[in-house]
Amino acid sequence: MSDATRRRPSVLDIVAIVAVIGALAFSLSSPRVESQGDAARMLFIHVPTIWLAYLAFAVTFLASIAYLVKGKLRWDHIAGSSAELGVVFTTVAIIGGMIWGKATWNVYWTWDARLTLTAIMLFVYIGYLALRRAIPDPETRARRSAVLGILGLVQLIPVHFSVTWWRTLHQTNTFRPRDIQMDGPILAALLASVAAFTIVYAALLRSRVRLAELELRAHIAAAAVEGPVAGDAVTAPAIGDGGAKP
Amino acid sequence: MSDRFWPQALAIARRDLDRERRSGEVAWVTIPFGAIALLLVPLAVGVNQDVLSRIGTGMLFVVVMLFGVLTSIRRTNIETPEQRDAVALLGIDPVAEFAGRTMASALLLLVFEIVMGAVAVPLYGLDLVGWGWMFAVMPLTALGLAELGTLSGSIASSFNAGPALVPLLVTPLAIPLLLGATQTVTAIDSDRGNLSWLVLMAIVVLVLAIVGVVTARPLQETR
Amino acid sequence: MSASAPLVEFEGVAARIGMATILRDVDMRVRPGESVGVFGSNGAGKTTLLRVIATLLRPSQGRARVLGVDLSSQDRFDVRPRLGLIGHAPALYPELSLVGNLEFSARIAGASQESAMAALATVGLAAAADRPAGEASHGMQRRVEFAREIMLSPDLLLLDEPHSALDPSAIELVEHIVAGVLQRGGAVVLVSHDVDRVAPMVTRTAELAGGTVR
Repeated sequence: MSDATRRRPSVLDIVAIVAVIGALAFSLSSPRVESQGDAARMLFIHVPTIWLAYLAFAVTFLASIAYLVKGKLRWDHIAGSSAELGVVFTTVAIIGGMIWGKATWNVYWTWDARLTLTAIMLFVYIGYLALRRAIPDPETRARRSAVLGILGLVQLIPVHFSVTWWRTLHQTNTFRPRDIQMDGPILAALLASVAAFTIVYAALLRSRVRLAELELRAHIAAAAVEGPVAGDAVTAPAIGDGGAKP
Repeated sequence: MSDRFWPQALAIARRDLDRERRSGEVAWVTIPFGAIALLLVPLAVGVNQDVLSRIGTGMLFVVVMLFGVLTSIRRTNIETPEQRDAVALLGIDPVAEFAGRTMASALLLLVFEIVMGAVAVPLYGLDLVGWGWMFAVMPLTALGLAELGTLSGSIASSFNAGPALVPLLVTPLAIPLLLGATQTVTAIDSDRGNLSWLVLMAIVVLVLAIVGVVTARPLQETR
Repeated sequence: MSASAPLVEFEGVAARIGMATILRDVDMRVRPGESVGVFGSNGAGKTTLLRVIATLLRPSQGRARVLGVDLSSQDRFDVRPRLGLIGHAPALYPELSLVGNLEFSARIAGASQESAMAALATVGLAAAADRPAGEASHGMQRRVEFAREIMLSPDLLLLDEPHSALDPSAIELVEHIVAGVLQRGGAVVLVSHDVDRVAPMVTRTAELAGGTVR
């Protein structure tokens, strides 16, 4: 790995590591929730990850608009990188929620509005990432995924309302995420987790955007090198004397 | 909006409808396939009439949504890059093209919905109480799905994996239409009533129209 | 149109498709009244060159102007109705009739519906007007595309392998169309791998090799 690509941890990376360690310590030392037991500590992962998923997709939305307005590929890198992180955090949030649900309510899944919306959101942005993966040209990829990045979030608002109303009509379960009693120390631990995860998101986003820019630079360099153009791969057919042989 | 907007939009719609009339794909493939799907569900879940009448409206709109997506994919699939280039060079207004394609798809989807409804009612023993709302629900569903399909088709066109991506792009975003359509009919007795669902569907249709108009020009570029 | 301003001006133009560089460092000027034949072997980038001129593919580098419009600006969309492109593969809708395809083009471009039938008659296909394009031969479909350009009278006509699938009378038609464009003060750029066949319809030639035009 060359010096250009090797990177020492930045201040942000170090702060992120320290923040996570601190939040972990906070979470483990917070009082036990009587009604939920130790399973409630999953909240310190579940809540921050879902918050970050929303933040990440909001960043994708804003960066997509910025790309269409400004035309700078850096905005596309931010949009795509943030969406990747959003999908990861959404997946972690869903899995964390399922583990917590099984431990506390003995079900992996309920059709709670928020859970349903989160699952839909995951599929929307998996589609976004699949689209990005399918387009090799950077500018075409940026343009098409910017449109989807805007459409995705804008459309998630009516999806949110429709799923919430639908669950209101059919509410039969007692799955209540807010059933947990939020004492001061628990709230403090939760806020510490949210803050730590947000710093982790910022650090990861910065690294991923940098990687995307390096990839683009390599792409441009490969295109600019004075080597063969695509047409140079076509040569005259090799036909012997007397015409082509079968 | 230029004075060529509506002539161009109507020309695009007419082209798509003419092509459909001559190929007969919706009439002879999509509709029968949708009807078979409606037939398969009772075979899978059992023929308890109470169960079927409860799930029938939902199944109708699931089939409409999924097969509506297929219809949209087809529109993308059958257009060659040369055809797209030729239309671009004729000086098509991208927004007119979006409007024209959407109008044609919406009309085809509306016909599909009506026929599927006619199949679902006897198969699932559906009570037609509340079905007057279908005069509003079906056009809104058709228009929303058409807008989504046209947008997704434009996003996913011109590269190899494009047509395969359209279902993944469209289906999650069509959920408000699915829920609005089913709940408008079944939520007659709820406190909220049907109007909220219809308003939600109308908002979705409006939002999709705005996104389609604003992004039509960037999406027209092939590179 | 200004009498002397070039209709096509390329300086150092490069073009990529995906990750592949197709054109590099293309310098080219086409003036009104010129018919330029660009020759190259298979895969040389002839079609790509035409698509860049037609504003369908944006250059990745260099300065490109077509009909006085910078191809990096949004105005390039406005110049499209003044261009005509007949590609190697037909762009007709197979389900629509031959005249139906032309009438569609007329509606989009704002030409009269009657001009569609008149153009079809000019290319000798009036009797086959109602035949679905999918049932017409490749040569017939190309004639319909020439009919479209007769109907729309572009200022800059771009032809990709103009002789492909055409019989001698149709080739005369192509020469007539090219002459008509030049007489109106327009220009023609055609690409081919066969220098001899297109010689009667060009005023000068250029070679496309190594991704660049010499």
